[in-house]
Amino acid sequence: MIRDFNYLRASTVKEALDLLEQHKDDYKIICGGQSLLILMRQGLVAPEYLIDIKNIKGLNTINFDRKNGLRIGATTTHRAVEKSPLIKKHYSVLLDMEENLASIQTRNWGTVGGNLAHGDPAGDPGPVFIALNAAVKMANKERERTLPLEEFFIDYFETALEEGELLLEVQMPIPPPKTATVYEKFNIIKNELGIVSVAASITLDENGLSCKDARVVLGAAAPTPKRAKKAEQMLVGQTLDEKLLDKVSEKASQEADPIADIHATEAYRRSMVKALAGKMVKKAWEQAKTSA
Amino acid sequence: MKKKYTVIDTPVHNIDGIAKVTGRAKYTFDVTLPNMLHGKILRSPHPHAKILNIDTSKAEALNGVKAVVTGKDTLGVKQGIWRRYKELCDEEILARSKVRYIGEPVAAVAAVDEDTAEEALDLIEVEYELLQGVFEPLEAIKEGAPQLHEHAERNINVTRHIEWGDVEKGFKKADYVREDWFRCSSQAHVCMETHGAVASFIPEGKLTVWTSTQSHYYIQVLLAGVLDLKENDIRVISRYTGGGFGSKFELDSAQFCSSLLSMKLCKPVKIILTREEEFMATKRRTPMFYYVRAGVKKDGTFLAKEARVFTEGGAYTAMGATALYLTGFFQTFPYVWPSYRYDGYRVYTNTAPTSAMRGFGAPQATFTAETQIDLIADELGIDPIEIRRKNGMYPGYEVPGQAYIQSCGLSQCLDKIEDWVKSRGKLPPNRGIGIAAYGFMSGGIFNWFDTPYAFSSALVQVNIDGKVDLYIGSQDMGQGSNTTMAMICAEELGVHVEDIRLHMGDTDKCPVDLGAWGSRETLMQGNAVKRAAAEAKRQIMEFAVAKMAPNIVYDLDIKDRWVHLIARPERGLSYYDVVKEAIRGKDGQPIIARGHYTPHRKGMISPAYSFGVQAVEAEVEPETGKITLKHCATAHDCGQVINPLGVKGQLEGAIAMAAGYGFTEDLPMDEGKILNPNLVDYKLLRATEMPETEVVEVETYEPEGPFGAKEAGEGLTNPTAGALSNAVYHATGVSIKDLPITPEKVLEALREKNEKKEK
Ligand SMILES: Cc1cc2nc3c(=O)[nH]c(=O)nc-3n(C[C@H](O)[C@H](O)[C@H](O)COP(=O)(O)OP(=O)(O)OC[C@H]3O[C@@H](n4cnc5c(N)ncnc54)[C@H](O)[C@@H]3O)c2cc1C
Repeated sequence: MIRDFNYLRASTVKEALDLLEQHKDDYKIICGGQSLLILMRQGLVAPEYLIDIKNIKGLNTINFDRKNGLRIGATTTHRAVEKSPLIKKHYSVLLDMEENLASIQTRNWGTVGGNLAHGDPAGDPGPVFIALNAAVKMANKERERTLPLEEFFIDYFETALEEGELLLEVQMPIPPPKTATVYEKFNIIKNELGIVSVAASITLDENGLSCKDARVVLGAAAPTPKRAKKAEQMLVGQTLDEKLLDKVSEKASQEADPIADIHATEAYRRSMVKALAGKMVKKAWEQAKTSA
Repeated sequence: MKKKYTVIDTPVHNIDGIAKVTGRAKYTFDVTLPNMLHGKILRSPHPHAKILNIDTSKAEALNGVKAVVTGKDTLGVKQGIWRRYKELCDEEILARSKVRYIGEPVAAVAAVDEDTAEEALDLIEVEYELLQGVFEPLEAIKEGAPQLHEHAERNINVTRHIEWGDVEKGFKKADYVREDWFRCSSQAHVCMETHGAVASFIPEGKLTVWTSTQSHYYIQVLLAGVLDLKENDIRVISRYTGGGFGSKFELDSAQFCSSLLSMKLCKPVKIILTREEEFMATKRRTPMFYYVRAGVKKDGTFLAKEARVFTEGGAYTAMGATALYLTGFFQTFPYVWPSYRYDGYRVYTNTAPTSAMRGFGAPQATFTAETQIDLIADELGIDPIEIRRKNGMYPGYEVPGQAYIQSCGLSQCLDKIEDWVKSRGKLPPNRGIGIAAYGFMSGGIFNWFDTPYAFSSALVQVNIDGKVDLYIGSQDMGQGSNTTMAMICAEELGVHVEDIRLHMGDTDKCPVDLGAWGSRETLMQGNAVKRAAAEAKRQIMEFAVAKMAPNIVYDLDIKDRWVHLIARPERGLSYYDVVKEAIRGKDGQPIIARGHYTPHRKGMISPAYSFGVQAVEAEVEPETGKITLKHCATAHDCGQVINPLGVKGQLEGAIAMAAGYGFTEDLPMDEGKILNPNLVDYKLLRATEMPETEVVEVETYEPEGPFGAKEAGEGLTNPTAGALSNAVYHATGVSIKDLPITPEKVLEALREKNEKKEK
């Protein structure tokens, strides 16, 4: 049973921030409601005020330019990301990700901001955005701030968002030349949350031979989306070979810090990180070779 | 080729389809009555505890609450479907002194709305004395384990023994003997419509219950037993049922509690279970620990089999005793085992009761038997089809002391599946095809109360305009039996499906049928319908005799609304005209005919058996152990097909359910608490996981069935887990004997295999 609550709707960012300030002690922001309503139905969350931001003007946006890169407003739905020609053209990894994220019904309602703010380590956008070097813009009544997405996730279902703070947008820079980013999640039933997932972003030197920069980000393998930094370092300056991939995979699986639950044991999650990490690095590497 | 039939054997869309897809069909959930109250049930949070006291005063004082009932308000009847076996009736539904599983009902509230009722649940104070629980059958059966029921020492609920032939001698003669242990997991029914009821009691002493059930007759009788009402003072209405799969032919907490509350208040009370309650407390598939030992000759001839089973009973008997018998019986199916010994133990545990679920013990039997047969075949270097062909049942075979097989299309099914397997050619790496052969009953011969035998009846009324009212007691829960019955009636009477107006799902109007379980409707209700229609037809033809002057009435027939001489079909009269004249001649009395069926003296289990062979092609990813279903071909001998669309629908649904059982679905628990009682964590297959499916046609005729038909319901869920495990075996060389076959288990087995190789 969902406990009774007061429903408030904001139509501008300012209005929303005022409402958040006003009801500071006992509110929840609702956007698409796809994650929040489950918690409310289970009685795990029972706010006095529900502040709906879904209709705020200006947050449901996807913008791209050559200078600033990609900006996705917080209330943009998964489905809008999936259907955006801009994204298809410049960030096809996001299209791949969205096509495997939940059902169309959930994508129609669920939003990018809601997904990140929910802080589920099994969420798909977290690792992919981090691989794309994303930052998030947040605001409260007093100020605005921007944080690298890596620092946004703090623990299971816990983020850097403070009381009174609203997530406004996700920003992704233009990737450097010779860069490719790929993502895959491992699950049993297609489009469900992953048992683990791995995003990899590889930047090669101008000759397309050795690795200049690498990001390997693990999903559902730690309390937050997590960069396997030691594995990344093993890649920098190297050329691709199977032995290296094996070592990188092994390292990434050591860096994982997964839980055991009814869907998989800890050991299995580690093996899946191992199986996916090498595969993703290789795939990103090969794509980077042929990219501009 | 001229078709033999005008109605059956032609694809017919479900006659309830339009009402369902347009939302016109009223399910229990849609029933709303004036002054209706809403009920909620308080359930035990403990797996094993004494109830010391229940204080309902605070809940009763809450504004909007109309009544609270607890075990004290009941007659205290220990009920169950086993009215001919009193000791097996062990469930009170509203516990009076002890709770034995998490989710067991202890109180129910009726209030003006659902929210108030739920709020009231929080105000009921139950004082428990916690008892030690026991959760695994192999633990519960040990000396000194906590005991659930006073009458059941070592928690043994039911035992079953089946034996024929000389088992010891068989093993002695065997060239090869192998033994395996298997674990078969649990599974939830996950009906789209959760259990629910609207009960309305009136001061005149009559109770009406709208509910979602597989048998309105059983619910009527069982309710009468716990409410001290006469059976026919209770009317049970169940026009549409959104799935049953075995979970809806026992009396459930929604039906019982809404009736109790309504009787107390003389107002309608509605209780619809939530999905979580549905997972926790509406019974589930029986987990089984299976030991199977088989002895065979070098050439693959089966000689002796021994099986021992410990089943996790959960807190009560439910229908579990039948599952215990059937799993033992179907363990030998569909083969000739010259000697066999089975010992089954159903053990009480402090977990949600286990009971009937599509296949009723047979999917577990088929999984274990078929997995083992492939291991034997491999060891002896015999082709999996060949070993099955060599030992298969055949028409006229008698399962000693148990069953007589009339029609049996097994060898045909094997031939066709062999062709299909060949047509797949050489498989890419990491792919395998596994097959499993199976059989199932077309309705149980047994009944659990009133009579030892099952029975079924039907009534046909032909009206002056030729339109037909067909009254049946069977229950359509989505499996399509309404369509099947309308088709059988139309075919026999010589009219069209559109001429039939069906009356079902109402104890006030319908003749008795035991309901939809054990895959009985096509054969049993079908026979009753066919006989009623035949009798109505005979009456109609009597009137045509004067005009058409055949030698005897049986020289006439009706087909396609045309009353004619069989020998000269062009000579005839319109069915409509004949009926009109006939009824006018009878002062307007309609033509009425009855039909019935009972499988008396037809063995212990069923009057007829379906047979089949299924092939599953699967791919296993070696790095992750992930299994992908690619193709699934099934040759199912259901005798004469009544509705090809119906068979296809049953097959596809069965594959989704049985493949889920094979590799994703499970009910993991911690101290009796189900850890995934929701549809996010419970892994049902979706359309994306479904393989390409194919029905491979076979032709047989079952003398006992209507037009030669047998079952095509539960049997189809039997083979898939076994076929899947064999496919994984042939793809990877590892055999997983522990359901569900998760990627994790596959990966672990592969790792062990590689380690062995390295050594
Ligand atoms: C059946 C199902 C399957 C799913 N499968 C997947 C999957 O495969 N992969 C995946 O990644 N996700 C999956 N999800 C999660 C889904 O993507 C998220 O639920 C969705 O993106 C959340 O967005 P929302 O707008 O609905 O958030 P809401 O439910 O409205 O909110 C979620 C949380 O974020 C907070 N919040 C929302 N917006 C803001 C904001 N702008 N600023 C601050 N806080 C905010 C809310 O207060 C709440 O705590 C699934 C969900 C369901 C129901």
